Amino acid sequence: MSAAAPLPVAALGIARLRLAIVLVVLAAWEALSASGLLFRDVIPSLLKIGAALGKLLASADFYGNLGVTAGEISVALLIGGTAGLAVGIALGANRFLSQAFESLLLYLGPTPKIIFFPVMIMWFGVGPGSKVAMGVLSCFFPVAISAAAGMRQIDRVLIRVGRSFRATTWQMVTKIYLHAMREPIINGVRLGLGVAIVGTLLAETKLSNRGLGYLVIQAYALFDMPKMYALVIVLFVLSIGVNVAIGRLGRGVGTK
Amino acid sequence: MLNSDASAPAANALLAVEHVSKHFPTPEGVVTAVEDFSFSVKAGEFVSIIGPSGCGKSTLFNIIGGLLGGYEGRVSVDGATVSGTHPSIGMVFQEESTFPWRTVLDNVAFPLEIAGMDKAGRQERAAHFVALVGLQGFERRLPAELSGGMRQRVAIARTLASQPRILLMDEPFAALDEQTRLLLGDKVLQIQQELKQTTLLITHNLTEAVQLSDRVLVMTYRPGRLKRIVDIDLPHPRDSEVVSSEAFGHRVAEIWHDLREEASRGIAADEARVLRGGHRP
Amino acid sequence: MRLKDWARSRNGARAVGVTATVAFFVLVEALIRAGLVNQFIVPLPSQIIASIPRIIAEEHVLDRFLQTMQEVLWASVMIAVVGISIGVLFFKFRGLRLACESWVGAMAAAPIVLLYPLFLVIFGRSATTIVMIGFVAGLAPVILKTIEGLAGTRAVLLNVGRSFKVTPSQQFWKILLPAALPSVFVGLRLGLIFAMINIVGVEFLINFGGLGQLINELAERYDLPGTYGAIGFVILTSMLFFDVTARIERWLRPVE
Repeated sequence: MSAAAPLPVAALGIARLRLAIVLVVLAAWEALSASGLLFRDVIPSLLKIGAALGKLLASADFYGNLGVTAGEISVALLIGGTAGLAVGIALGANRFLSQAFESLLLYLGPTPKIIFFPVMIMWFGVGPGSKVAMGVLSCFFPVAISAAAGMRQIDRVLIRVGRSFRATTWQMVTKIYLHAMREPIINGVRLGLGVAIVGTLLAETKLSNRGLGYLVIQAYALFDMPKMYALVIVLFVLSIGVNVAIGRLGRGVGTK
Repeated sequence: MLNSDASAPAANALLAVEHVSKHFPTPEGVVTAVEDFSFSVKAGEFVSIIGPSGCGKSTLFNIIGGLLGGYEGRVSVDGATVSGTHPSIGMVFQEESTFPWRTVLDNVAFPLEIAGMDKAGRQERAAHFVALVGLQGFERRLPAELSGGMRQRVAIARTLASQPRILLMDEPFAALDEQTRLLLGDKVLQIQQELKQTTLLITHNLTEAVQLSDRVLVMTYRPGRLKRIVDIDLPHPRDSEVVSSEAFGHRVAEIWHDLREEASRGIAADEARVLRGGHRP
Repeated sequence: MRLKDWARSRNGARAVGVTATVAFFVLVEALIRAGLVNQFIVPLPSQIIASIPRIIAEEHVLDRFLQTMQEVLWASVMIAVVGISIGVLFFKFRGLRLACESWVGAMAAAPIVLLYPLFLVIFGRSATTIVMIGFVAGLAPVILKTIEGLAGTRAVLLNVGRSFKVTPSQQFWKILLPAALPSVFVGLRLGLIFAMINIVGVEFLINFGGLGQLINELAERYDLPGTYGAIGFVILTSMLFFDVTARIERWLRPVE
């Protein structure tokens, strides 16, 4: 028997425990910072990090760079996601294609994509083009693999129903496949966006003069630790937030 | 007879259940799963408890086995009250319960390992019980390689290997098809006779109850009370051929007469619950 | 078997896949030779193949491979020990699990590798930085899958244990842990793959260590065939890693 909502008392206890853990971690951090045990400034005081975070969020420079990075990632997701979806559906629908080419996909999926960056620079230059290419390369694989797997888990009877009404291939894709595959596709996009963010930002840290990745590596070069922490916090919050939002989207609208 | 209390345990009872009741709190109020349930089982006897779905059979199983506490009444073995799990009572569960990572032999040796028996001793005893359920030659196989009926025999052998005084089984054949169930029933009955194993079987299957038992206890639908005791005086040795005899038919009809009423109440209660918009039980 | 039937079979499909891949490289070779693709951006596939003996002999690819694998090994050991321990701890203390499991989930979605400049400051440009990044990147799946495996132990197996009066330590070692192992192995394999990807990536980014650094060096020397050859070698290594871990997982995994 599953009660619809968790007992409020238990939830309160969990909230308290969470608060306690956070407070302990922050206190330990502050103590470590004050003790000077680690090299100077590697663990800056929370106040300094807070101040750096405030300064960062108030600067126009930050939003400019955020815009550049967000733009690169969006374009990458659009190109890589669409390509991944198309390839995934083709592989999922056709057993022959899947046997011929899917192992290529499975093997290339878990390779470190950043090693292609020198090649992408040669192909697309040192500007945003090569960063977008890194994002595309990163997000193509998880989307394609999820779409292919999602295609195969569709209830066969739905496909037979579609065929019995003599739906065209395009109608099958838009009216049956995409609906029945909703969950794996959203999951693939979630994974894809995650790795696109990593791919794009890492490329920016390696070679660029704009974007959030560039800001991180600049903070490192200037040994501005509070700013680096502030940037890392912002990046983590944004990535996790986007991830959670897409996850919600998958669960919320999909269920009738 | 002077002793008018029918529920008092017989003097020669091995297992005695006296006035057991169990209540559960639920969102829809307190449900009484078992109410004032009393019976006893003599040494060497095969007793079945039969009742409709949702009558509290499994609650009774868990209480007697010691997995469920917080009940009223008393469960005793040879006059001594037992609480918690007890080596005198060996349980066989309804669900798939073999350990998938252990071979047949190691599964059967499990209780001996827990009891701290040395390796050679427990392997020998386990091999004996594997053979007893007819699985010799499969000692080194993993459960995944066996059929459902074979896996349930492994589970029975495992419990028998702990040499309990009372074998307590909760619908052990529920997941099997009818034919396997009949043949496995033969096997269980043959072992029970051979070991003179005191056995208490919980079931919802009429044929099974009559085929195997010396006595059948019929339970009412919620709250689960003892409705009636039917003696099965069919001669031993018995096998599944017995199901086609006239006497068998009479016993089944007799029990069904009582059970039918309870099962109908169960179905009516389910329908009412759906109409009220409540949860499935 | 007739040719048409063979082509439809599994082996036939694989052969078509391999042939198509080879044909693709032949086509690239032809396009470059015809002057349609700039050979200062894409080197001739034949040149790339010719460069392989050179990078093996002169660039000590095998030593670098071993160096990378050593880093992966250290990270793996840490992932296994720490990840499984934390998983068991979360399982034993329900409150801790309720409070922190979603944080671990969020950690899995966070771009952890972006912490590398921070690790550079703390551990310097050394193998420690690389191993630590690999460790942190691969930790979350092991924790989550360990909890999932332990919590997913079927109730009836625990009841069997209770009916035979197992002690709490027997319950853990003889029932919970073996029941959880298949799931733990799934987590470990994921964790190792994440660790490997991030280790090679960070080697490339900080220009230190094994295979990743090799690509960076060759690219900086503008040795085009060498860069492509080294990338091919990394892809081969990931394929091998992917396959070997899959085999180990299957071998260790008890039959379900």
